Amino acid sequence: MIEFQLDETSGVATYLQLVQQVHQALRMGMLEPGDQLPTAQQVVARLAINPNTVHKAYRELEREGLARARPGLGTFITRSPSGTDPATQARFLTAMTEWLRTARSAGLGPDDIEAIYRTAFRACFAEGAA
Amino acid sequence: MIRLTWLQFRAQALIAAAALAAFGALLAATGPHLASLYAASGITGCHGGTCATAASGFLSKLAATSPYPIMYVLGIGLILAAPAIIGIFWGAPLIARELETRTFALAWAQSITRTRWLAVKLTLTGLAAVAVTEGLSLMYGWWAAPIGQAARLGYSGQPVGMGPFSLPAFDAHGITPLGYAAFAFTLGVTAGVLLRRAVPAMAITLAIFAAVQIAFPLAIRPHLFPAHHTSAALGSYNGTTHVSGSDFAFTVDYLPSQPGAWILSSGAVNAAGQPVSTIPAACAKMPAGGPGMLPCLTSQGTRVAISYQPASRYWAFQATETAIYLALALVLAGYCFWQLNRRTT
Amino acid sequence: MMTAVIEASGLGKAYRRTWALRDCTLAIPEGRVTGLVGPNGAGKTTLLRLATGQLAPTRGTISVLGEPPAASPAQLARVGFVAQETPVYARMRVADHLRLGAWLNPGWDDELAQRRIGQLGLDPRQRAGSLSGGQRAQLALTLALAKRPELLILDEPVASLDPLARREFLRSLMEAVAEHGTSVVLSSHLVTDLERVCDYLIVLVASRVRTAGEVSALLASHYRLSGPRRDTGTLPAGQDVIEESHTDKQSTLLVRTGEPVHDPAWAVTPVSLEELVIAYMNPANDLPAPRPQLGVAS
Repeated sequence: MIEFQLDETSGVATYLQLVQQVHQALRMGMLEPGDQLPTAQQVVARLAINPNTVHKAYRELEREGLARARPGLGTFITRSPSGTDPATQARFLTAMTEWLRTARSAGLGPDDIEAIYRTAFRACFAEGAA
Repeated sequence: MIRLTWLQFRAQALIAAAALAAFGALLAATGPHLASLYAASGITGCHGGTCATAASGFLSKLAATSPYPIMYVLGIGLILAAPAIIGIFWGAPLIARELETRTFALAWAQSITRTRWLAVKLTLTGLAAVAVTEGLSLMYGWWAAPIGQAARLGYSGQPVGMGPFSLPAFDAHGITPLGYAAFAFTLGVTAGVLLRRAVPAMAITLAIFAAVQIAFPLAIRPHLFPAHHTSAALGSYNGTTHVSGSDFAFTVDYLPSQPGAWILSSGAVNAAGQPVSTIPAACAKMPAGGPGMLPCLTSQGTRVAISYQPASRYWAFQATETAIYLALALVLAGYCFWQLNRRTT
Repeated sequence: MMTAVIEASGLGKAYRRTWALRDCTLAIPEGRVTGLVGPNGAGKTTLLRLATGQLAPTRGTISVLGEPPAASPAQLARVGFVAQETPVYARMRVADHLRLGAWLNPGWDDELAQRRIGQLGLDPRQRAGSLSGGQRAQLALTLALAKRPELLILDEPVASLDPLARREFLRSLMEAVAEHGTSVVLSSHLVTDLERVCDYLIVLVASRVRTAGEVSALLASHYRLSGPRRDTGTLPAGQDVIEESHTDKQSTLLVRTGEPVHDPAWAVTPVSLEELVIAYMNPANDLPAPRPQLGVAS
């Protein structure tokens, strides 16, 4: 069964972190359709967070179609996230590695690369921006 | 709540029980011998004047036989001290300690109202306080019964066998200890509720209780019932004569015509009933301490005027005083409930 | 409409001349863990004491689970309370405390209490006075939980605990919420404690409520805007400025708004809960009136 972590410094809402970790686990093959997600009580016992947060995360997963709650039994994975097959992942990994190599030879250091990445990432995914 | 009160009170109750048991053992060890002395004194079955003689003889003998004088005084001392000790150690910390350590917040967070919480604590501990003190008093009363009987009939001039109305004896016998215990206890609880700290509450309780115990017999007790008045011829009583220079004074400690009475005041008066203290001219030539002084003064019409409370009023005094103290205790208890329910801090 | 476990209207409490709490209007929803945060002396303890019936209001009203606080033993049975410094009877044993709970509470769940004591590793024979701070807090929590309340109120329960004991206490508390669905109201002057466990927040400063609402709604409606120097009067109507600072060339604002920010001149970033609370707690900030309860229909 997946074991959740919590990164308090990341600035990402707790429930989203749980959702992302489920996505990650699905991608890595650690979770497969039919697997049961930990109960709210189990997550709370480990992380000492509000059980409503867990419910919210699982509702989000349900909304995305990745999981389903079965009353009295628990919450179960229904399918893998789409468009994340290993071939696609490998392609983007190659492209990213090439880009990084180019950036380094252009003289950019790790901090510059990190700043560029974060700016672009936020612009792409940030909530609330126009 | 009853079980909780007992749980919190257990240790104190055991100490009190041990003290009662120790005192009881002491009394039981000496009681029978005291009773046999009394039986041999001839007081039982006496009539008239022989009673006074037999009683006085018994009391004087007792005053010379150890350990009775010490035990008599010790017993009275213990019963006088008991309400104060209970007020300080049972009453003052009852609520103050809970306020001080904030455990009241734990108690009130259980499904119990403040009123019930206080009511059970106050009633159970208060009843225990009264029971212990009255228990001490009854045990001692049983032991000292022969002495009490004799004190109503005779006179010894010693602490042993002091009259039933005399200050320490009155406070330690009968039912007054009950009233004192109730008052001292509720006084302690009230001090605790107001001061919210156990140690200052204990100090204040001791101070106020001591003050009341001194003031009441001096200022209030004598006036509970109207005094009787009489006069007696010089020398017909037990008392003191004081002559110095041209002044004299007489005090009466014991009046044979009123055995066991409480002498409130006494003083020399002339034939017209006015107070006198100067040796009249006719007796001026008598030697001051000589045997002729008293007859001379008597021939001038000098007598001693006495105001007193008769022995028959003993139980009336006991009941009235106890009722007053119990009423005070109830008022204090009521105040505690009101104060605790006021809901500020 | 969600039912409220605690409702206050114009609630105020004064001691002689000072107001410990003033103009307090709240509706704390059920099924939530509500955090009451503010500096020391802000009125948190006063509010909680009013809620548990230890104090009577000077002005306004407060009702808990639909009744006046401490109205009856039945109502007292529905509310659990852990006071500041988690007092316990020092000379009584742990087991005696559980008996105390059983004697005084009609709804006492002894199996739960014994199970918790066992899980916590507390020795029933040990006198409560010799427990560590964390163990005392856990004992007090056990007593409050085992009476199976609908609402649990805790006044700064972890303030004087070390980080490990704090985490363990909050873990215990959250496990109980997960198991029984108890509504919780807890106060703290540490925001980081509350971030993990609270989904409803009330900020209390200088005896007044500065803001209140669901944590997710608060985070979704506050942004940090930074951009060229600007007069805040020029901002659109729906944007309330909570905090502002200006240099000669740049303005940085913390705004509360119901709409996304469309002005391209601003760089918009989300605000963390801690930043949000600090901004509301800062006495230098001139705050707009609190919005009607976010996330709870009135």
